[in-house]
Amino acid sequence: MIVRRATLAGALALTRAEVADMFQYRVVLFLYSLWEVVHPIVYLAVWGAIAGEGDVGGLRLSDFAAYYLTFMLVSHVTAAIEIYTFGPMIQQGELSPHLLRPMNPVWVAAARNISYKSVSMLLLIPVWIGLVIILRPAYSVTAGSVVLFLVALVIAALLSFLVGTTFALLAFWTTRSFSFWEIWMGLTFLLGGQVAPVELLPGFVQNLATALPMRYTLGFPIEVLLNRLDPGELALGFALQFAWLFAAALIVRAVWRAGIRQYSAVGA
Amino acid sequence: MPPDVSVRNLVKHYVVPERAGGLRASFRSVLRRKHRLVRAVDGISFEVDRGEVVGFLGPNGAGKTTALKVLSGLLHPTDGQVDVLGFTPWDRRAEYLSRITLIMGQRQQLFWDLPAADSFLVNKAVFGIDDAVYTRTVDLLTELLDLGDLLTKPVRQLSLGERMKVELAAGLLHGPRVLFLDEPTIGLDVTMQQRIREFVTAYNAETGATVLLTSHYMADVKALARRVIVIDKGRLLYDGALDGLVQRYAPHKTITVHLERETDLPDLNGQAEVLSVEGLQITVRAGKDDAPEVTGRLLTQLPIADLSVEDPPLEEVIDQVFRGERL
Repeated sequence: MIVRRATLAGALALTRAEVADMFQYRVVLFLYSLWEVVHPIVYLAVWGAIAGEGDVGGLRLSDFAAYYLTFMLVSHVTAAIEIYTFGPMIQQGELSPHLLRPMNPVWVAAARNISYKSVSMLLLIPVWIGLVIILRPAYSVTAGSVVLFLVALVIAALLSFLVGTTFALLAFWTTRSFSFWEIWMGLTFLLGGQVAPVELLPGFVQNLATALPMRYTLGFPIEVLLNRLDPGELALGFALQFAWLFAAALIVRAVWRAGIRQYSAVGA
Repeated sequence: MPPDVSVRNLVKHYVVPERAGGLRASFRSVLRRKHRLVRAVDGISFEVDRGEVVGFLGPNGAGKTTALKVLSGLLHPTDGQVDVLGFTPWDRRAEYLSRITLIMGQRQQLFWDLPAADSFLVNKAVFGIDDAVYTRTVDLLTELLDLGDLLTKPVRQLSLGERMKVELAAGLLHGPRVLFLDEPTIGLDVTMQQRIREFVTAYNAETGATVLLTSHYMADVKALARRVIVIDKGRLLYDGALDGLVQRYAPHKTITVHLERETDLPDLNGQAEVLSVEGLQITVRAGKDDAPEVTGRLLTQLPIADLSVEDPPLEEVIDQVFRGERL
């Protein structure tokens, strides 16, 4: 895919403006993103209570703390907000001005995603550091696992953005794209490494979680950082993550094209 | 030189769901949805040459905006051919979008909480406008639109009129060759409407850009366009000079006489109809061909202080056109 130089420069300028815009809403942003910090604490509290002084499937309290503290950052970086940002734009006819510029409006969604995360991350990091000091997670990371983690994290964020955009694009056809999104969120809750680390899921469900894309938007980078995977699992994980990213890119492109055809047929 | 805009037999039909109000109709529509075909544009053809300013006239729902949306590439037509600057608009190629602009009175492309200057910089980057050209264009637009310090205030603090000026400027930064203006003066006060009109005229003179505009306000069209295209119910009713519209749709003249003293009206031979008699002022309407004779007769048979022969006002002509009547 060839991206025009003006498109990249445009996306950059757009991101800069979006960051400036986001700062206008810093208090709201802080409250939104605070939720992302708080809800993993709930899972941590439950698993901590079950593990007690012992362990669950080899995971001790400090391991759960490491998992869910990493989860906080990963879930924030990979959060898909397009259903809230891009979907309403389509529904309310705000897409038209963007369609008149020589840049795909999906870049607008991307710019908003990046600006939201960069601004709210600034607010979240101090909270996160405080929690690390209090909860004393057992981080046994290596230089290699950090590098692989960053790769997995970037792909997870991209994959999640493409999935979020695909669901947001359903707004071209239905005013109820939220319902579809809820299903995806439900599956991510169960199979993405949210309610429990994937390794604790029962055999059949674990296989399902390994095959489906949800884990690759959330749980997989955490497992990589915390060295929970053997080399075979690691290779399979990256292969599947790449495959899902590729598939998502194809899907979002097809849905965008069909959506634009629909939009320009029924009235922009 | 080929025309900048060429439209042949443009058709745009929509299918819209339809149901009556109320709970029962609501239940019924779940089982069986009714649809209705809307013929927004129903086979219109026209051409616009480089540098022309053309007014698109029509009542609400005539298909003006739909036509402009097709021309700017937002809508895919049901049928027909459109060529603007050698491009098919709905392909929405970057080269095409860089040469046109569509400015809608009620749409907004500016960041609400940021000064417009920030939105301008985004457009500069997206359209790949080079620094020198950008500075020159902003200077020109600032002068023509009297933008002053509007660019450095957050957009939300601008008045409607100020925002419209800034929107216009934002849509023109990339120096488009063809301007589609959809109701550019809607909701603005008279002074601001005047200002926008002067701007469009000056911009057209300065840059030689082709302008196609729609408006409800007759004054806009009178001031800006020598040529008008009248559409109603998706069909083209008239395409030609503004004066010709009056000639064609108003085959009558209004003759007003002021008398020196009260007197009886002469026999008008059925060639004219008396519209009003108010004191010493008499207004009659005569067919265009009969007007000279009627005027002559009035002049010779009445003690006349003053006499004027006028075309009916444009608003009235247009109104008649839309009602499908002839004056």
